[in-house]
Amino acid sequence: MYNLQLSPEQLEFRDTLRDFVEREIKPVMLKADRIDVRDRSLPMELLDQVSQLGMRTLALSEDRGGVGADALTCCIVTEELAAGDADIAALFSETSRLGHVLFDQAMTDAQRDRFLPAFLENDGFHLAVADRETGTDTRLGVNYSRPVAIARDVKTTAAKASDGAWLLNGNKDCVANAPFARLFAVEAKVAGAPGTRFVLVPADAAGLTVRAHERPWTHGPCGDLVLKDCRVPADHLLDEKAGDLLAKADMSGRGNPLFPALNLGIARAAYEAAVDYAQIRIQGGRPLAEHQAIATKLADTAIRIEVARAAIWQAAWASDHPEAYADRSLPDLPLQTIAQVFTGEAMLEAAKHAAEVFGAMGVMRDMPLQKYVHDTRVCLHTGNGAGDAKLRIAEAIFRYRRPSDTMPRAAE
Amino acid sequence: MDFSLSNEQRHWQETARKFADEEIRPISLERDAIETARETWDWDIIKKGSKLGFRTLAVPKEWGGHGTDFVTQALVMTELAKADSAISKAFSQNWKWSHLISKSCTEEQKQRFLPPFVADDTFVLGKGITEPGAGSDNRLPPDDDPKAGLKLKAERKGDEWILNGEKAFIANAPVGKLFFIDARTDATVPLRQGTTMFLVPHDTPGFRIGKVFNKSGWRFYQNGEMIFENARVPHANVVGEVGGAVRKAGGQGGDTTGGDIFGDLELAANGLGICADACETAMRYAKSAKQGGQVLFAQQNVQLQINKMFMLTETLRSFVMRVAWEHDKKIHSFNAGLAMNYSTYVVQEVTELYMNVRGADGCRMDHHTDKLCRDAIIWTHLAGDTVQQMKVARRLAR
Repeated sequence: MYNLQLSPEQLEFRDTLRDFVEREIKPVMLKADRIDVRDRSLPMELLDQVSQLGMRTLALSEDRGGVGADALTCCIVTEELAAGDADIAALFSETSRLGHVLFDQAMTDAQRDRFLPAFLENDGFHLAVADRETGTDTRLGVNYSRPVAIARDVKTTAAKASDGAWLLNGNKDCVANAPFARLFAVEAKVAGAPGTRFVLVPADAAGLTVRAHERPWTHGPCGDLVLKDCRVPADHLLDEKAGDLLAKADMSGRGNPLFPALNLGIARAAYEAAVDYAQIRIQGGRPLAEHQAIATKLADTAIRIEVARAAIWQAAWASDHPEAYADRSLPDLPLQTIAQVFTGEAMLEAAKHAAEVFGAMGVMRDMPLQKYVHDTRVCLHTGNGAGDAKLRIAEAIFRYRRPSDTMPRAAE
Repeated sequence: MDFSLSNEQRHWQETARKFADEEIRPISLERDAIETARETWDWDIIKKGSKLGFRTLAVPKEWGGHGTDFVTQALVMTELAKADSAISKAFSQNWKWSHLISKSCTEEQKQRFLPPFVADDTFVLGKGITEPGAGSDNRLPPDDDPKAGLKLKAERKGDEWILNGEKAFIANAPVGKLFFIDARTDATVPLRQGTTMFLVPHDTPGFRIGKVFNKSGWRFYQNGEMIFENARVPHANVVGEVGGAVRKAGGQGGDTTGGDIFGDLELAANGLGICADACETAMRYAKSAKQGGQVLFAQQNVQLQINKMFMLTETLRSFVMRVAWEHDKKIHSFNAGLAMNYSTYVVQEVTELYMNVRGADGCRMDHHTDKLCRDAIIWTHLAGDTVQQMKVARRLAR
């Protein structure tokens, strides 16, 4: 049964994180020089501590040395971290997500033996998946409900060298976590084979250059890769199911709604700041909180935040319980996508309401409110945007099946 | 009903459009990207615009200005804002206070301040009302609380007033040469009765500018702190009567074409410029950028978003022009305030729709699109927050 009473472990996790955010992250991240939206550099001094709280290995199974957190716990944790800093939350939630996919599901035993010990040991070891190239267009858009294959044009190639090693050539763009990743899963075309495969590329592989993006329109560190005769051993090729796993985590619409959880955390921080300020700022002879106009705005904000969290938690629970789709307990719809669209639209409004409470201070670069508005706007306009996501939901509503589709249908 | 423009109005509109296209647009993103708040201002563009008349547009002809009507002023603000909202505001801020000089200053004061203003291409004006502890309280002063509202103190000593206190977020403070400053001359009565307006030149002894605020939008247009430490202002610089500042700003509904009412029209007309820019750019983008082998405009959803953008923009245009026309005809109306409130909704909705049409390009957002959204957010606290809405509602109820 879907149960909203958190387990003692989940509560402890949440409270530990909340406390850590208050004590350690906020004092650093709310300084004037850290809330400039154009500077997304991470506080290196905090990252090891976040790792030691288990955030890197959160979703990795306990058997393999991780925390083994379920999807709902991961969302709770991501919301808490994002309330402190969206970039830290993005970095760790991506590594945690990929840790589970790569080490628990995609790698062979030999591959795992090679990379897992270093991953567990090193607090600075992050993961990244490089599947996007310049010009990659995964929008449904004009192809909504049309029998056109939406195949991504992957130009990066992996070729066998005479000694059996793989030689990778190509460019990858907008790779989340790239500047911090020690291990990449790089998508490439393999000569003579259909489709694409993923190849494990350590950050120190010869022929790999990583360039950090200075001001990405995204959360967390981001960068591009240049692979020039980049050489990795023969056994670094992930098997075919890895492609499905890595793609499905993004495209199925039934995955873990980590991204909306991050979005929620940002808006919650804005809301909490506004609630605090409304109680101390006096105008019109009494605290802002005692004015109907401000009270109603903050109530509207609370409504958006609570409804968004309900949608996120439902989707998170559903991703842990696929049987609930199967027995029709849940609608045959991409609940992750639904949570993402609702959260994206509602949280921008929430952050704007919160900023309004601060008057002119709401637009000042040395105050956090403009950052929250910017960060929620980034969430709404990340990837293909809410408009395209709605088309994916609509294809699920009408059970549209694309004959030559290389991607799973939304609600699968 | 006649919506046609006179030759003079069309002339100003075309001059503004040409200046916006040739001079403002090319520097807009560059100025926006400057990191240091104190360095975003560009005197070259101000001088160029001043020579074309955009600084002194609202000064009466007999004082050497252009004496344009409100319709012309609305047209020009919109055209300039279409290229850069903040630069447009940097010019029109001078009109706002030119109106105030014309309506409220004595002949002697006009003689002292208007000729130097008209003659100097780098002479810009500002007005200081807001203080760190008094923003909304100045807009909606509670009638029963003398403590609420601005606190900058002015005490008379012989022929001088001694000013002490601080102003915050004051537009043009870092660059202006002459300011209208609201100060408390009687702290025992509510704001409306106890406030006096002073003309304060930038080089007044005891008066200096503090920090320049680092805003997320309207980067070009600077807001600064003002610090008064025994600043000495001659009694001859009192605007109107002692204790009459709030009435002079048009707040009591007597003079509905004065500074404050122009300010409402100004924000609406400026916002309209942003919307016009967003509409034009969105249409151009939708007709050229492709997805799945077709232009974006082929998609129903893109057509619907563009429809809404134009629908809202043209509705705002109708309202702005009606308000300007009503001002010119001296028709008593509260529409300026409503247009200002409405422009907040429209400018934010239209820029957000524009961002939807545009979308993120992977992990990048087009700078221009981002700028329009950041500029539009400025409207919230200036024009459309709950205080500004209630203020207009209370005008309507009078």
